[in-house]
Amino acid sequence: MKISKIIITIFSLQCLFLNNIAAQSSNPDFMQSIGKIYVVVAVIATVFIGIMIYLFSLQKKIKQLEDQIKD
Amino acid sequence: MKENWWKIIGIGLMLFSLIFGMLTPLKPGLPSVFPFNGKAGNQLTLSIQGYNTHFDEVKDQRVWLKLGDYTLGASKLEATSSNLLKATFNTPDILPSKDSVVVFTLISDNEIDGASVMPSAIFVKQANIDSLGAAQIWPQNSVDNLHQRAGITFPYRNVLGETIRNLYYHVSLWFAMFLILAVSVFYSIRYLHKENMVDDHRADAMVSVGVVFGLLGCATGSIWAKHTWGTWWTTDVKLNMTAIFMLIYLAYFVLRGSFQDEIKRARLASVYNIFAFASIIPLLFVIPRLVDSLHPGNGGNPGFGGEDLDNTMRMAFYPAIIGMTLIGLWMADLRFRLSVLADKLLDRM
Repeated sequence: MKISKIIITIFSLQCLFLNNIAAQSSNPDFMQSIGKIYVVVAVIATVFIGIMIYLFSLQKKIKQLEDQIKD
Repeated sequence: MKENWWKIIGIGLMLFSLIFGMLTPLKPGLPSVFPFNGKAGNQLTLSIQGYNTHFDEVKDQRVWLKLGDYTLGASKLEATSSNLLKATFNTPDILPSKDSVVVFTLISDNEIDGASVMPSAIFVKQANIDSLGAAQIWPQNSVDNLHQRAGITFPYRNVLGETIRNLYYHVSLWFAMFLILAVSVFYSIRYLHKENMVDDHRADAMVSVGVVFGLLGCATGSIWAKHTWGTWWTTDVKLNMTAIFMLIYLAYFVLRGSFQDEIKRARLASVYNIFAFASIIPLLFVIPRLVDSLHPGNGGNPGFGGEDLDNTMRMAFYPAIIGMTLIGLWMADLRFRLSVLADKLLDRM
């Protein structure tokens, strides 16, 4: 429950961030600008977020194990 | 600290490829030219768009239209900005070709940016075809004394532009996935040989990381495709084969989940893992090479090679592969240790 909330927060924050830059640049083809460098940025962000999601799912499993030990 | 050396190496290599891969500039290139067609015999004035170029700073700018051995230098050059150049060509009435429409390559050279080439830049139509007569009129002076751009650069490719850097962040994921899955097959075989439950846990953890990398590879490729091809997913061979192979690996987890008995589960999962890995080779390495595809580096070969992957790119690409693999093995190691602990705890209760 908590983890999914965190993941959603990260995603929405990232979307807000990207939207903000896109709005500021006042360029309709923001992703196409400067030789599509922002596509590379989005790719790196995706890889980072993907690894973070994996770590959160791992944390969830550890939490379950800890709860079992407590019981 | 002693047992963490490979994790630190992984982080270091990843950081290196991130910094080196993002900070190295691209070689100057010619993304577009306008107009892209003209008539023989007319004066052709082309607006040449440059990328990373210094047209307004250079003294020795030269531009050619090239067709085979025949080259035509520009008669007048005028730089409007660092990335915009107007070049005027006086084309003869007849072109050295038997076709009525001839495709020329555009070559630009100056002392700062070095030489850049734009293949199939401009289509020129000729009214009268006289290739033998044209061969005598057309200058056959070769393009020589080309300059080289100073410093370390990555190659410039039309369509790709800066996204050529995705080689370090998208392609290295696939390489890391393949290596991690290969190690998991090693542990699956070892489980079948020695029947030690620890090996099965290792294989399981590595397959899960491999699938995460595969899904990330699909997602990153999809983002790139959206801004290059205009859609998130196409029915390209390479993409479809990847989808099939991801489904094969997702079935691995379904298979694992459907057994209560531990030994039965481990045995079947090990056998399945070996066959699933065997399916990668035709799906990802053989079939995409047999068919044409839109994927960069294609035309018989789905990977980058030859001129596309030069030595400066290798300097960032190989560390990225090793770094990504080590980080993936680290993730798998954590998961493996967790499932061993869970096993011990369940035995005790």
